[in-house]
Amino acid sequence: MITQPTIASRIETFVRTQFEVDPGDNGFDRTIDLFELGYVDSVGFAELLAFIAEEFGVEVPEADLLSEDFLSIDGMARIVSRLTATAEARSA
Amino acid sequence: MSTVRVLGRLDQNLAWDGDRLYEDADIQVGSAPPYELRGAAAAVRRGPGSSWRILRDPLGLNKLFWARADDGAIDIAARPWTLLQAGHRFEEILAIPRGCVLDVIAGEPPAAPDSIVPAGWFSADGPTLDVDKAAREISSNLERYLAAVAAAHPTAPVFVCLSGGLDSSGIAALTRKHFPAAVAVSFDLDQPGGQASQDRVVARRLAHDLDLPLLEVTVTHDQLFGYLDTVLVEGIDWRDFNVHAALVNAALADGIDGALPARDPATPVLVLTGDLANELLVDYHQERYKGVTYYELPRLPAVTLRASLVRGLDSCHRETGVFAAWGLSVVQPYAVAVDAYLALDGHFLGREERKQQLCREIFGDLVPGYVYSRPKVRAQAGSPELGGGVLAACVDRGYDAAWLRHRFAQLHDVADTRTLDRFIRAGRYRTAVPSLSGEVN
Repeated sequence: MITQPTIASRIETFVRTQFEVDPGDNGFDRTIDLFELGYVDSVGFAELLAFIAEEFGVEVPEADLLSEDFLSIDGMARIVSRLTATAEARSA
Repeated sequence: MSTVRVLGRLDQNLAWDGDRLYEDADIQVGSAPPYELRGAAAAVRRGPGSSWRILRDPLGLNKLFWARADDGAIDIAARPWTLLQAGHRFEEILAIPRGCVLDVIAGEPPAAPDSIVPAGWFSADGPTLDVDKAAREISSNLERYLAAVAAAHPTAPVFVCLSGGLDSSGIAALTRKHFPAAVAVSFDLDQPGGQASQDRVVARRLAHDLDLPLLEVTVTHDQLFGYLDTVLVEGIDWRDFNVHAALVNAALADGIDGALPARDPATPVLVLTGDLANELLVDYHQERYKGVTYYELPRLPAVTLRASLVRGLDSCHRETGVFAAWGLSVVQPYAVAVDAYLALDGHFLGREERKQQLCREIFGDLVPGYVYSRPKVRAQAGSPELGGGVLAACVDRGYDAAWLRHRFAQLHDVADTRTLDRFIRAGRYRTAVPSLSGEVN
């Protein structure tokens, strides 16, 4: 089973690469609000969702999409971790 | 108070079950969810005692928003603005999820809603069709749906929006067949010297060839900008692409309204559009104007992008909402063929000529050859580098993305525009399912 830190790490790598985050940007970390601080816009959000679906095999429900948790990488990782655990329990 | 209140008018239901249009009586508390429902629908229908059925169509074309009142009641309206007028704060307003079928019963715990969104729509394992089969299914659905609309509304005045592009031309040809008294309507921005746009020129030729009278709606920039507040409120969106498209629709709606003789309130005025085909065939691209890129799209494979665009139909009311401001009911025929469109695979979606190929199979000779060979032009974009479209007009006047966002917030009494990012995210409105027990699913 994929761990939450691994999920967070993969999402962080994707965000850094896809949205060209400066490696020296000290304001960027896994706890910040990606949208409020302008790292990801609404177009990028769709790309991020597609990445999560492809990488982790889960669709993020609308309730989670619009939750406060889904604003940061750590929050996304918590949600994806829960969704993958649920999916694995179903298939077991 | 354990009740559900509907504030204002809801959008016209024009949903279809594959045979006929749904009627109010079809929507009953406790009945089986209408999984076959396609097309626009939003309903709140009272059942026995204190019970209500709440329903939204699977694409989310018609809108329903709600907020809980101080007395415990659930207030529901087709626009957030209507709820604001009733004293609710924007931050409290939630959408009923698209495809939701919910029975709300006073005194009972919250029920789990049913979803009538087909599981295969956005799944990699969903059904696939080759182009021939998809075209036959789309053609059959369009024909049968328009026949059903004509049967349900035999005396309705009918207009069809004609941009001169393939999507609207196909719908115009079918409209002529099913609604012999229909009038085509074309949009243009008034240009110095009064020169007609290429869209207008093609619309004239096409209306003549299809034997449709043409209502020409030509507006000045000032007239266009006069629709901005209406568009932001009724279109429930501030994003520039949708606002620009909605401005075109507002001008068309105003033109139609002005051309109508005295109206019978009991008879809807139908406006048919070729909307939705672009989402279903991923036929969008970004535009450049004065060195700036507009209408940027997510960088995704075609099938994934299509899913994103189709899901995004939930969060804009640039067609139905805007025309409704003038009391006009929009018919979006492509909505009833969504299953066949979504069954077209990524290989087909990657073809440059996909729309021409599919439309030839669907419409054949009903649409003249010059429409198939015409380069795509968007009314809202015009010829961006040269100007002439709504995009250029808005940008030049300072009505850019930031201005639209700020104005939307202002109109909805939102002090912090960051609130808007929690209202629409990834093309979806903030949703929740209401109950009369005070809990929210």
